[in-house]
Amino acid sequence: MTMTRLTRGAWAAPGTSLEFKTGNWRSTERPVHAHAKAPCHAACPAGEDQQAWFAKLQEGQPQQAWRALVHANPLPAITGRVCPHPCETACNRAALDGALAIHNVERWLGDEAVARGWAYPVDTPAPDAPRVAIVGAGPGGLSAAYHCVRLGLNAALFEAAPEAGGLLRSAIPPTRLPRDTLDAELGRLLALPGITLNLRARLGRDVTLDGLRDAFGAVILSPGCELPKPWSVRGAVPADLHDGLHLLRDFMDHGALPDAARGDVIVHGGGNTAMDICRIMKRAGANRVTLITASALPGPNTARDDLINVVPRELEEALEEGIEVIEHATVSRLIMKGSRVTGVEIVSLRKEPGPDGRKRRVEFEGTERVLPVDMVVPCVGEQVSPDGFEGVLDGAYFWPDDAWGRLREDGVFAIGDARGNRGTVAAAIGDGRLAAQAVAARLLGGDAPVADLRPERGVAGLNTAYYPAMRRTAVAKLPVAKRGFETEIEGGLSRAEAMAEAERCLSCGNCLACDNCWTMCPDSAVIKTVEAATDGSHYVFDLDYCKGCGLCAQECPTGYIQMVAETG
Amino acid sequence: MVQDSTRLNGLRAKHGRPPAGPHEPQAAPSTLRQGQPRFRGLEAGHRACQGCGEALAARIVMENAGPDVMVANATGCLEVFTTPWPQSAWRVPWMHSLFENAAAIASGMEAALKARGRNTKVLAFGGDGGTYDIGFQALSGMLERHHDVLYVCYDNEAYMNTGIQRSSSTPHAASTTTSPAGKERMGKRHLKKDLLSIIAAHHIPYAASASVAYPADLARKVRYAMGIEGPTFLVVHSPCPLGWRHASALTVEVARRAVECGLFPLVELERGALTNIMPIRTPRPVVDYLELQGRFAHLFDETDTRAIEERDHLQALADHNILTYGLAGTGDDPVDTTGIAHVRRGGPLAERT
Ligand SMILES: Cc1ncc(C[n+]2csc(CCOP(=O)(O)OP(=O)(O)O)c2C)c(N)n1
Ligand code: SF4
Ligand SMILES: [Mg+2]
Repeated sequence: MTMTRLTRGAWAAPGTSLEFKTGNWRSTERPVHAHAKAPCHAACPAGEDQQAWFAKLQEGQPQQAWRALVHANPLPAITGRVCPHPCETACNRAALDGALAIHNVERWLGDEAVARGWAYPVDTPAPDAPRVAIVGAGPGGLSAAYHCVRLGLNAALFEAAPEAGGLLRSAIPPTRLPRDTLDAELGRLLALPGITLNLRARLGRDVTLDGLRDAFGAVILSPGCELPKPWSVRGAVPADLHDGLHLLRDFMDHGALPDAARGDVIVHGGGNTAMDICRIMKRAGANRVTLITASALPGPNTARDDLINVVPRELEEALEEGIEVIEHATVSRLIMKGSRVTGVEIVSLRKEPGPDGRKRRVEFEGTERVLPVDMVVPCVGEQVSPDGFEGVLDGAYFWPDDAWGRLREDGVFAIGDARGNRGTVAAAIGDGRLAAQAVAARLLGGDAPVADLRPERGVAGLNTAYYPAMRRTAVAKLPVAKRGFETEIEGGLSRAEAMAEAERCLSCGNCLACDNCWTMCPDSAVIKTVEAATDGSHYVFDLDYCKGCGLCAQECPTGYIQMVAETG
Repeated sequence: MVQDSTRLNGLRAKHGRPPAGPHEPQAAPSTLRQGQPRFRGLEAGHRACQGCGEALAARIVMENAGPDVMVANATGCLEVFTTPWPQSAWRVPWMHSLFENAAAIASGMEAALKARGRNTKVLAFGGDGGTYDIGFQALSGMLERHHDVLYVCYDNEAYMNTGIQRSSSTPHAASTTTSPAGKERMGKRHLKKDLLSIIAAHHIPYAASASVAYPADLARKVRYAMGIEGPTFLVVHSPCPLGWRHASALTVEVARRAVECGLFPLVELERGALTNIMPIRTPRPVVDYLELQGRFAHLFDETDTRAIEERDHLQALADHNILTYGLAGTGDDPVDTTGIAHVRRGGPLAERT
């Protein structure tokens, strides 16, 4: 058929506008896919990328989710029970309808892996691979050993106690961490080829640091903090003083407390051990248990750095069980009859900025009051037991120079609670991973590990119009009357509940494959393709046509699309 | 001859176009683009402004109406930015009418196709100027004669292509070049014409309003209209960053707020009767919508009592819409203004259930 030329008209072939590259119009900004850290990930001391493993759950792949999780943290059944979950505090969803129940899902994945026997995603290290000595088989040492194996090294653990676990076994009651859960997860980790465990091997008694340095390619110190910090009130110490950590250990070993613990007890401190001993004493029959803490209880106006540093639900449960808490206070005087305490004077205090800018504690004169007591239990923290570390400790702790735990002694690393500024199981696990990375770089060659400097995507960077409201999954708890010394208090999630909770993840800073950018580009400059998208999204930008309007970035729910300055 | 035109060749060189006429071989689109799992009735390379709501609306309409369609397009931005000769962004038979007669041309196309025994659906496209105003009598005739045409009005609430002159669709108090805000007036004195009621009064099978803020709802309405034999009508709220003076990135946000405040109700009428609405889950104050747009900037002069009065007037108009159409929701609804937009991993939530 021949085409007739129109005299007063014109025609064009279909789709020929493609010859005109409207991308030329972009003058200031262009869209890019920008992976950012989800706040949960940024807040996690163990370095877990919760968003990444929730994404696998959203795809219906629990085993993949667990594998992504244990890439950073090999002990999710444990941390899911004991961690104060700063991830949940940071969760962007807190600003919508409640933070995700991250620790509950983490725990479910850990339990599921144990129940189903999912194998850790690690290969057996070569028999002649370098060997690393790790002092202490607590959470930090175990994590270091696991990550050494994951990175192709052999790991030898040296543990003073007759069993592995460190404070998980000695200082955390079974009501928080049932012993069969602990044994199951530790057992699986310790069974990994490439890990050897030497029990009853105490540094300074059975082995020496120099000996380990000679025999191994590197030494990672993870001894934890075994000694209670010294405590006295203006020089006075009661004759029958029992510190919280020892009471807790004794109780877990023999199930008994001193007689005075039947009366009115004051616990002085503000950490998880203080909380645990308060609750155990109350359940064991104390008349009245009062915690005196310099920090504050959670409230709408409580500053983050003022908040009492305990697992939030533990505090809630303690209050349910009738533990009394006096916040912003300290013990200022012991009232003694002979060498026995009969009362304490407490005084109000606050952390206030001092002249050097650092916070200091200020006691307020005139706020003193006296409480009658039968027992005072100090629980003000612990420090490293110095045997075998002479010359390496700096004061009561190790103070490595960097995030990887490098000490001045060549090839020696320090991790976990023994670093003075840690204090959670998750931080010890994170330290173990970082130290193992540095050790692997040292012994196997390869690049030195680098810090993850990606920006964090806060709630202001999301478009929350696109997220359906979903209430946080509530878990069952043992009623107060039924709480004893063995049965776990917090219940677990079912598979359906865990999967439903995962649906609540906002995928902050990472592609949801929701099609918004593809649907809303007026210029058909977003191309949908799983194959060609190599950045974890399902889309590519066709910059030949993108005019740089910014609509996709604005309507991206997750903040994964960012407008960046056009260069050149 | 075009090839001899130095000016055209200069322009082509500047914009990186090969000096080709329509009869010469064309560059093939990339295979990625060809492999898109949707009908590309309106292709890239069109010259709409950054963030143009009209371009977005037309793309979505084409995806859901095509491929077996023909289009009659009234003069206006959509016509101009898609067909700079010798190129076209359309991948369906498409005809430019005059400003005032898209409906008449479409009627003729439909009659001719019918005479040939073809089932191809005819679409007529017009801006608000071409629909509410100058093309109105042609449209009314098309509806009355019961032509099997889907007429889509891209409502950007002014004559944009000629430089933002007010139309009968321009909202009350909006500033345009022919209703400027100033000492005499607070923008447009008159009200936005309730065109949908007039259209529905033709007793046609289907007339509805939609918005670029809710692509899934727009898609459903297009598909529904496509399934009807007889005249159907859609008006799509399509923000214009240039004329409304908002950031190009905010097109969807502005459109969303227009619906959420009640100023642009999303309703469906069949044979003149209201058959469906999109409930508003949480009505927003009208100022949330106004504050994003320069055309309403004069309403935020707190020293001007007229500004406060006009803001209250617009709020009263929105409240009136909510009342007359019953837009207040009754609890969470998956297809209300909040639920319809929800997504999950892998796509819109609505498509999954
Ligand atoms: C009869 C006639 N009068 C005036 C014009 C000039 N003209 C071209 S487009 C246009 C405005 C179009 O406005 P609208 O229909 O709202 O479409 P928009 O450009 O806003 O999308 C005008 C007035 C014309 N083409 N024909
Ligand atoms: S003037 Fe408005 S309607 Fe016209 S192309 Fe630009 S943004 Fe779109
Ligand atoms: Mg218009």
